[in-house]
Amino acid sequence: MDKIARIDMGAAGGPKVTVAGLGDYAGLGGRAMTSLVVAAEVHPLAHPLGAENKLVISPGMLSGTVGSMTGRLSVGCKSPLTGTIKESNAGGQAAQVLARLGYAAVILEGKPAGDDLYKIVISKDGIKVIVDNSLKLMDNYPVVEKLRKEYGDKVAYMTIGSAGERKMLAASIACTDPELRPTRHCGRGGVGAVMGAKRVKAIIIDDAGVTMRPAKNPEAYRDANRKFVEGLRKHPVTGEGLPAYGTNVLTNVLNEAGGYPTNNFKTGQFEGGSKISGEAQAELEIKRGGSATHGCHRGCVIQCSGIYNDKDGKYLTKQPEYETVWSHGGHCGISNLDAIAQMDYMDDNFGVDTIEMGVTIGVAMDAGLAEFGDEAGAIRLLEEVGKGTPLGCVLGSGAGITGKVFGVERVPVVKNQALPAYDPRAVQGIGVTYATTTQGADHTAGYAIATNILKVGGDVDPLKTEGQIELSRNLQIATAAIDSTGMCLFIAFAILDQPETFQALLDMLGSFHGITMTGDDVVALGKKVLSAERDFNTRAGFTKHDDRLPRFFYTEPVAPHNVTFMMKDEELDEVFNW
Amino acid sequence: MKLETLKLHLNSDDLHLFFPLFQKGVTVPAIVGCTLKSLLVDQFAIPVDYVTDRITTIFLDNRPVDDLDRTIIQEGSRVTLSAAMPGLVGATMRRGGFYAALRQGISYAADSEKTSDTSGTVRLKLFNLLLAELAPTVLARGLILERDEFNELLRNLPPQTKHSQQDTGMILLTATF
Ligand code: SF4
Repeated sequence: MDKIARIDMGAAGGPKVTVAGLGDYAGLGGRAMTSLVVAAEVHPLAHPLGAENKLVISPGMLSGTVGSMTGRLSVGCKSPLTGTIKESNAGGQAAQVLARLGYAAVILEGKPAGDDLYKIVISKDGIKVIVDNSLKLMDNYPVVEKLRKEYGDKVAYMTIGSAGERKMLAASIACTDPELRPTRHCGRGGVGAVMGAKRVKAIIIDDAGVTMRPAKNPEAYRDANRKFVEGLRKHPVTGEGLPAYGTNVLTNVLNEAGGYPTNNFKTGQFEGGSKISGEAQAELEIKRGGSATHGCHRGCVIQCSGIYNDKDGKYLTKQPEYETVWSHGGHCGISNLDAIAQMDYMDDNFGVDTIEMGVTIGVAMDAGLAEFGDEAGAIRLLEEVGKGTPLGCVLGSGAGITGKVFGVERVPVVKNQALPAYDPRAVQGIGVTYATTTQGADHTAGYAIATNILKVGGDVDPLKTEGQIELSRNLQIATAAIDSTGMCLFIAFAILDQPETFQALLDMLGSFHGITMTGDDVVALGKKVLSAERDFNTRAGFTKHDDRLPRFFYTEPVAPHNVTFMMKDEELDEVFNW
Repeated sequence: MKLETLKLHLNSDDLHLFFPLFQKGVTVPAIVGCTLKSLLVDQFAIPVDYVTDRITTIFLDNRPVDDLDRTIIQEGSRVTLSAAMPGLVGATMRRGGFYAALRQGISYAADSEKTSDTSGTVRLKLFNLLLAELAPTVLARGLILERDEFNELLRNLPPQTKHSQQDTGMILLTATF
């Protein structure tokens, strides 16, 4: 990864490609690359859908190598949904293929004047930008099918559906999985709308004729990777729970804890929870000839995903994740897995974020557009998004806008991005991260990374209230660093519990780049990324008053624990004091 | 109250038919007034290492539990057992975990002392990996099923069990595999 490609979509005479060395961005990958480029090069007051915004696509630091779990792709820009800086990442094959071609980043700049739609082909022979208006307003599944006829099955595809072309603020960018299905999405923050604004429909990445990225110290890298994989396999979460049930294994547990937001955050427990649990889902998938264990990219040893077939045993969608099952399920009072899977497919096909879309439908239900529990009504609302009707364009612009248009008071967003599947009144520490993250409410912004090993900011007594601020800070720092490596965040448990597995990860990074890597280096990287993101947001006009949860979390107690969000504003303001 | 006793011997392939019931919760006979640890280890006969290492997430009446020795089981207590969970929230719910502070407001406050032991029942839920691993032990001890719970279960069980269907009262069901 020794080069950066810039594609000026608005250049006079048509899109212009420039490939150059890494310059100031040497050594970066993933979120570190996307955020530092956006912070340095995008005007903070730029319109997110305008020519001044940039869409930065970057594989992780270890992507494209023989290392396991290294296939996450980061996409960054100024978000049209939140107005903040945004990094959104996904699995799929794109990161591995792009990294092997040597690109540390591909940056889409400018904006074409006309109405033409483009596809970009990246291969060892260079980058071609081609007009292809035959793809206009196609959705993700059909567009990939069409492109496969032309470019075959040995490439990775990144595409936007009709929602991205229509510049809906919930629009995602799809990355194909090993079976070339557009199921892995950079979902959050409307990154698909930015790609649509630049009139780029598809990026075809072909690594024919190139090899794996070689490590500086290949033997040490192989050895560290072996230890890393051993650690993942022996841990009960990464070696058993996630492969067996996927992330939806959380439904039963969150429901039991009274932290499962139900009927648009009105209560913390859902009567139909066990019907849509990961356990029920895995059993159904296996019974119908699908699979409860599947990797979103080659080289994943955890395999938290799966294949969801319909009643007739035909592929319907990939295994919906916990957040998706929640947003289209309990959040909308729906306890039918087939209806949820159908909506997951529709989200992937139209190209919208499943969290934002499901939360929006719940808000629309509060507005009276459908009843809670009305599966057909929820599907009908989603169809409006696919058709691009005026109502669909409102819904496709997310929960915040939908709440405003229909006069709904209970709208669960922070910085206009929908909250994920955990009620911050029941799990207050998560609320700290939701409120303060640079990205808008995001469950992955503070992940269970080995902060106890890193000891970012010193030791914390986990049973003190004030520990929650420190924990959130540490989690956000560590997550920013892991997001830069290209590693899937689900490695977190093995490195949290097993110091030798965390060391193996450091050794992978060190032996690949020919350096010695310590926990302190990881912390420094995480802080650098977060500081740049914070600074961008400040220049974009965000203040501490934006680091708050919606008022109803402070005023409406949630059952069964009857608690409100208790963290004081002054405490929230401490998160970024380091 | 009328309590009929029913013993089933089933094929191990049928074990999963009980999983929806265990996820919703089953009533099991127990001596109450003891500690949660004693319930699991002494009464359910779950090996202590398994309790320590495998049952990493426990709820009592919807509250995450940290200290098994200072948690007292009462008549009708709702006990939920789970293996380790993914996600930050999964780690947060973990017993005595590093992230316990994040759910401090809903954690189970440890009891100061145990009360006297009496016969009673607890409501038990099993989740995820523990379904297959603990359901046989619990079924061998016996479940107390309401008539409609039992009838729902019977609908899924193999045909040879159907003749056992009754109309009234509660059932003490034991099953071996
Ligand atoms: S653990 Fe899941 S999300 Fe992570 S790389 Fe594997 S399949 Fe993808």
